Amino acid sequence: MSAGTPTAREVVAPPPRLRLWSRPFLLGIPVAVALIVVHVLAWNATEISGTALVQGWHGMVDFVGQAVPPDLRWNEVVEPALRATEVTLYMGLLGTTLSIPPALLLAVLGARTTTPNVVVYQLARTLLSFLRAVPEVVFALVFVTAVGLGPFPGVLALLVHNVGVMGKLWSESIEEIDRGPVEALEVAGARRSQLVANAVVPAVAPQFVGLLLYRFDVNVRSSLVLGLVGAGGIGFLINQSISLFRFDEMLTQILIVLVLVIAVDNLSAFVRRRIA
Amino acid sequence: MTRLRVVSPAPPREEIEAAALSIRGLRKSFRSRLVLDDVDLDVRPGELVAILGANGSGKSTALRCVVGLVEPDDGSILLAGREVVGLRGDGLTASRREAAMIFQHINLVKRLTALDNVCCGGLARVPTSRSLLRMTFPDHLRQEAMRCLDRVGLADRAAERVTRLSGGQQQLIAIARALCQRASVILADEPVSALDPAAAGRVMRVLRMLAGEEGLAVAAVLHQPELAKRYADRVVGLVAGRLAFDLPPDEVDPDLLDALYAPDEQG
Repeated sequence: MSAGTPTAREVVAPPPRLRLWSRPFLLGIPVAVALIVVHVLAWNATEISGTALVQGWHGMVDFVGQAVPPDLRWNEVVEPALRATEVTLYMGLLGTTLSIPPALLLAVLGARTTTPNVVVYQLARTLLSFLRAVPEVVFALVFVTAVGLGPFPGVLALLVHNVGVMGKLWSESIEEIDRGPVEALEVAGARRSQLVANAVVPAVAPQFVGLLLYRFDVNVRSSLVLGLVGAGGIGFLINQSISLFRFDEMLTQILIVLVLVIAVDNLSAFVRRRIA
Repeated sequence: MTRLRVVSPAPPREEIEAAALSIRGLRKSFRSRLVLDDVDLDVRPGELVAILGANGSGKSTALRCVVGLVEPDDGSILLAGREVVGLRGDGLTASRREAAMIFQHINLVKRLTALDNVCCGGLARVPTSRSLLRMTFPDHLRQEAMRCLDRVGLADRAAERVTRLSGGQQQLIAIARALCQRASVILADEPVSALDPAAAGRVMRVLRMLAGEEGLAVAAVLHQPELAKRYADRVVGLVAGRLAFDLPPDEVDPDLLDALYAPDEQG
């Protein structure tokens, strides 16, 4: 054995020994037990039952059997579905774009780094949490009773809920930006609105656009569900087909929706990649 | 061990009046740690003062007190003859215009052009309605910004995004932004620490020129004693938050510098 090999040298200090019964490991045991207990409770509470699924399989086969082949009559099914899909797309679009001004305002007021004071910060955060906590469907029901059936209450529902979600996401990206440039303009005597417009907004613009596209994507899909409570669009037609047991029409409508969702998803992913 | 403490005598009253920046008895502690302990400093128009000191000696904190990013516990700071300690809100915003700051991390707004970044230095003079969108910036602001860019020798890069410029060029843009602020005092917090020697020299020469030709009072925190001795009119040393010396550059000898960067000897 040559003296040059590492093993032949005297080690300065031995590496710390691996200890199995270390603190993280011991702490892990109660955490693992708690997780198992919660999952057992959840399994029971949601009445998960393999037998019910197996026994009910012919129900599903019936359903699929009635849906296939899809009803592809142009005038009666496909054209109205395309029209309604167009409306759904517009609902998602307006629900997203019209929510930009209020979301931007609440994001600035609800970000620790740009808020004028603690009271305003808390108010903005509370409002954002409320709008986020109430689902679109609930807002849609409220607006349907206010302005009647159709796409308009759907747009309102998407708008209001989206302000909550996008405002929160935006305020988080505002809080994550580098404070340096903001501080530099602050020291130069710029006022708060000038700081936001000239240092904060340029820094967050790419994230803002990315989140906006992501929300557009989500809102187009959400507007489908809103149709189920009478807020217009293709969702409304799907709901109608189901209540009339016309599952073959429903399948056609769902296929059209599928194309729309994939198209919007790809478009938003493409644009987000380009601006990243 | 002898403790080096060579402090020049306090300047007479009329000199304080003449100083663009005059700090007296500045104290600041974070939690229980004393960062600034009774610091006096004057910077007169046309003068470049270098501030030397080891990490944690309180150099940056002193500058940050002047622009109101840190509130001192005690002491007085006169900017262009006006007291700035204790100012808040609009008073603070107004006083800040008198002193411009240049940062180690440069702190330009990355997605904007060089010209727009320089314009941002003058935002305090522009009504809010004209300053929220870059395309509505008034023409006089753009023209002034162009002149500021020209002063630092980068007028030809005005339309470029600042991220396309080198580190040294970016720091010069930041200096142009400080000029556009029309401040009488320029505070530079380690302006060349992130730059290579050539870029550092270029930035120091521009700061030197602003003091000499524009009559600005420049205070620069530096980590390179050679740059301080080469470009400064006076060199100030801080040790553990206390003023250790305040001397012309040719009187700063290696012993003084050794004492400055000696490891903590708590006495």
